[in-house]
Amino acid sequence: MAEKAVKRRRKSLIRMAVAEGSFDLVFFITVTLLLVIGLVMLFSASYPYALQKYKNSTHFFYRQLIFAVMGFVIMIVLSRVRFEYFRLAALIGFFMSLFLLVLVLFTPAVKEGHHRWLTIPGLSGFTIQPSEIAKLGLIMFCAWQFDKNYKKINSKELIKAPFAHSLNRITNGRIRITESFASLVLYGGIILVFAVLVFLENHLSGTILMLCIGLIMLYLGGFDRRWFIAGFLLVAFVVAVFVMFPSLRPNILQEYMTERIVAWLDKDFEPTGARWQVNQALYAIGSGGFFGAGLGNSKQKYMYVSEPQNDMIFSIVCEELGFVGAVIILFLFAVLVWRGVVIGLKSKSRFGALLSMGIVFQVGLQTVLNIAVATDSIPNTGISLPFFSYGGSSLLILLAEMGMILSVSRYTSLKKNN
Amino acid sequence: MKTQKLLATRGLIILALLVVAGFLSLSGRLAYLQLVKGEEYKAKAEAQQLSDTVIKAQRGTIYDRNMKVLAQSASVWLVYINPSKIKTEATKQLVIDGLSQILEVNPETIKKKAERTHVGYELIKGQIEKPVMEEVLKFIQQNKLTGIVNIDPDTKRYYPYSGFAATVLGFTGKDDIGRAGLEYLYNDILTGTAGRVVTAKDGRLEAMPNQYESTYDAIPGTNLVLTIDEVVQYYLESALNHSLQETKAKNVYGIVMDVKTGAILAMANLPDFDPNNPDLILDENVRKQIESIQDEKERNEALLNAKYAQWRNRTISDSYEPGSVFKVVTVSAAVEEGLVNNNFGYTCTGSIAVADRIIRCWKHGGHGSQRLPDLLKNSCNPFAVTIAKLVGTEKYYEYFEAFGLTEKTGIDLPGEAAPNEGVTYHSKKNFGISQLSSYSFGQSFQVTPIQMITAISAVANGGKLMQPYVVAKEIDAEGKVIKEISPIVKRQVISEKTAAIIREHLEAVVTSGTGKNAYVAGYHVAGKTGTSQKLGKDGAYVASFVGFAPANDPKVAVLVAIDEPVGEHGGGAVAAPVAGEIFDQVLPYLNIEPQYSDNELALLVSYAPNVVSKSVNEAKNEITRAGFTARVIGSGDTVVAQSPESDRAIPKKGVVVLYTESKNTSQEAVVPDFKGMTVSAANKAAINNGLNVKIAGSSLNSGEVFAYRQSIAPGEKVPLGTVVTVYFKSNVDVSDSDE
Repeated sequence: MAEKAVKRRRKSLIRMAVAEGSFDLVFFITVTLLLVIGLVMLFSASYPYALQKYKNSTHFFYRQLIFAVMGFVIMIVLSRVRFEYFRLAALIGFFMSLFLLVLVLFTPAVKEGHHRWLTIPGLSGFTIQPSEIAKLGLIMFCAWQFDKNYKKINSKELIKAPFAHSLNRITNGRIRITESFASLVLYGGIILVFAVLVFLENHLSGTILMLCIGLIMLYLGGFDRRWFIAGFLLVAFVVAVFVMFPSLRPNILQEYMTERIVAWLDKDFEPTGARWQVNQALYAIGSGGFFGAGLGNSKQKYMYVSEPQNDMIFSIVCEELGFVGAVIILFLFAVLVWRGVVIGLKSKSRFGALLSMGIVFQVGLQTVLNIAVATDSIPNTGISLPFFSYGGSSLLILLAEMGMILSVSRYTSLKKNN
Repeated sequence: MKTQKLLATRGLIILALLVVAGFLSLSGRLAYLQLVKGEEYKAKAEAQQLSDTVIKAQRGTIYDRNMKVLAQSASVWLVYINPSKIKTEATKQLVIDGLSQILEVNPETIKKKAERTHVGYELIKGQIEKPVMEEVLKFIQQNKLTGIVNIDPDTKRYYPYSGFAATVLGFTGKDDIGRAGLEYLYNDILTGTAGRVVTAKDGRLEAMPNQYESTYDAIPGTNLVLTIDEVVQYYLESALNHSLQETKAKNVYGIVMDVKTGAILAMANLPDFDPNNPDLILDENVRKQIESIQDEKERNEALLNAKYAQWRNRTISDSYEPGSVFKVVTVSAAVEEGLVNNNFGYTCTGSIAVADRIIRCWKHGGHGSQRLPDLLKNSCNPFAVTIAKLVGTEKYYEYFEAFGLTEKTGIDLPGEAAPNEGVTYHSKKNFGISQLSSYSFGQSFQVTPIQMITAISAVANGGKLMQPYVVAKEIDAEGKVIKEISPIVKRQVISEKTAAIIREHLEAVVTSGTGKNAYVAGYHVAGKTGTSQKLGKDGAYVASFVGFAPANDPKVAVLVAIDEPVGEHGGGAVAAPVAGEIFDQVLPYLNIEPQYSDNELALLVSYAPNVVSKSVNEAKNEITRAGFTARVIGSGDTVVAQSPESDRAIPKKGVVVLYTESKNTSQEAVVPDFKGMTVSAANKAAINNGLNVKIAGSSLNSGEVFAYRQSIAPGEKVPLGTVVTVYFKSNVDVSDSDE
């Protein structure tokens, strides 16, 4: 009897965790398409470099394929988990992200001066970027917190701390440290901590992404928009001052960073090949024309575009698939983002909506920034292209994220059915 | 629900921002990069991906008609550096020191080039030969300078005979492009087609997989086989060279033509140039004169003019008044029209009245009573005027045209002067009786030497006017004939019958008329002399001779023109002997059988019997019986050696030296100065000195000819019995003008 009861209880526990209903098919198909196209293009773009460097043309492809399969399984599994359970994961993810971000600063640099990667003990050659994990960690944390503390965020009441009341009294009610303001300071502070930690890795693009994600989450979180307007004006003012008075610029940018900015502004700037990478990408994109050279026919991938499996992979996509192919891929990404927003809004759950939107906006932002770099629209920063660029850990995380969104989408459909 | 609404609004705002500012604007950016700038970027991409190497085609070889090489391209190399790859001061110094030493180039020059580090190509030296190239190669390998110092193939044109047929062959520039002569005219087919290797290179400058490489083989240039015969050309040039030295003329030029085909066997202008180094002024006097000019601008101008002057093929580019040579056309027209025959008589009183003026004969007293054959023989002007008047202006003009004197001959050489109606000759409208009279003896109009020899060749060729040509065949690298040029008959100008009559007249000119200095025993040389004053230049003449041989079956025609000879200036006196010298050498070379008259036989060469190891008396008898004079040296009983040896040709009645002592078999004699001697005096002097004389040049009437040149200089010591060739010419009745 007792045995049975235990079994039943266990069963019900599992049933509780398993999401019911069907997931969003459009989203699933879009993800699958991008994953398959991304894998094919990775193989095409990477084989000359792989052959040249590792004497094995499938070096990058096989590794990416293994992670894609693993990631796909994780995605399906996660899509089956009730998304409410991800709240639990948010807290764990938050502390783990902080731990890894700090840890990575104390490990030997993989590349001179760049502490971005962590080597997993026992898995030689396999590295993970804590900042990749941290991005998801931050999104989940924000989604959880902003859902939970929604009232505080919009509360005009003073915080409970006594000094706030005394300050209010002393200033005759002029300075009011409201719950809302305190929350902004708290979460803004947390986001800044994340960003600064990533910046200490010597990872500018990661820092910018982290700040953007934080900003998007704060905005979605429902903070008063006046803060955003004020923040925007402040940043604009600081930038304007720095542009007008270069001597006032704090020396926080490394030399290579400023060089890349100059190289973007001055198309002939070529001191140490700063524009080489971008020019080669442009040649590749231009060579594609309307219909492209055909799959596998890129010439620029032959040691012209440097590391074509990484950040500049989109230029090879453009060369082989042409304007038509590039626009179709952009369209798929747009569908992904749109669908993620729709799923979030349909979920009727603040947490689900914040999680889903946060993730697709991060993916969308990363896509736009990557392609903007490849097309010389912004200065060169190292941002990878989701689904396309080589990188096992980030692909795993990306697919896990997609799994979470699918899970949210099940909840929506379930509600509808009920 | 208000909170959900805010979230939806804000989510959609970000979505809209991302789609519009992100995806849509990036699509626009892609459209710009791929559709607008696509071609530009593609070109830039290809420029770096494709390495296009040009393989020069070997320039075709020029052969003479016996396949002797006259012009040939050889593989040489050029050395260039890539200054952009010079990274250290030490490397730069190494390159400067090494290359300046090996290539003998000024180190400063190399330094300047090496410092242009923004460029990838600086030529250091071209046209270097194999040994030097190998030294550079070793230098590169030893110092690991691959990519910094580089070697590329280059070509160089060689003319093995140096200044030989220079104006015909022309020359090429440093870029291997023909600049003059045949090199210029046939440049396109000589050049061939350059090949290319297009290789796709990856970013590390290594070849991409094979599918991106394509090779286009270079097609070597076509070879030319000329009608020019190297031996004939040599004879022509050496005869002209003698003449240039003796007459001190400004220029001498000559053409040897096959009368049956119009093929040019030889063509030369002296002084000319060395195609191996066309910029060097060959005429030393001119060179010195230019160097002495102080003003730099003037000096450069003079230098340039001198270059153009020596490059000029005067036989086709210059025109002159043919003078008396042209009487051939006058007589031909009159005979062809049936207006005169050999019995036609005319009495020359020394002048003739034409229209408003009086034309004088060069012989002041007049030639007296003459028959038609005497017209050319005496070169009588009033006689020519008289028969020209019989022909009439209209008909005469037709013959003028028919002989090709109003058109280019069409020879395949660049720069043939085009006859210019109203300038070099009169238009039909303006061709009146006074022009007719002047034309009849070759004055008041101009022709080019090639036109003149072509016209006279028509008479030699049974009246058929041929188109002269220089290139006989075009053959490919394997020797396969691509194109063979067949002779072109332009038209029948006069009948065979008329031509035969004129040929007889012309042979008489050489045997007993003004052209006697062109006489060659046994070869029936026919021809006509001409002397004309140069327009607007007082005391400057062009002396010429145009003729052919043998008169009864003409094979070759020769034209010799002497431009501004100093001193003697008559065609018969200065040009005819040169033509004689040419005929004398060319006709035997062309295997034309001589037909001797009895007179000529008497002076012929012969061979002495072999008397070595015979007793002295027996030998003496045998030599004497054969018609020679024996001269015994030594006191032995038997002949141990004879000079000249039995297989060497000696003139009839010559000396054979018999040596009887084996210790003493080569005594020497001093060559006397034969200049000014008659034939018999020369023979006598030779025998007295134990030498033999070969008579050359005019010798028929041995009483009136005098030696003017000898093959061995006076005072030189030569073995007894040696044959010395002595050239004779006549100074009597060789004049054809009143100057």
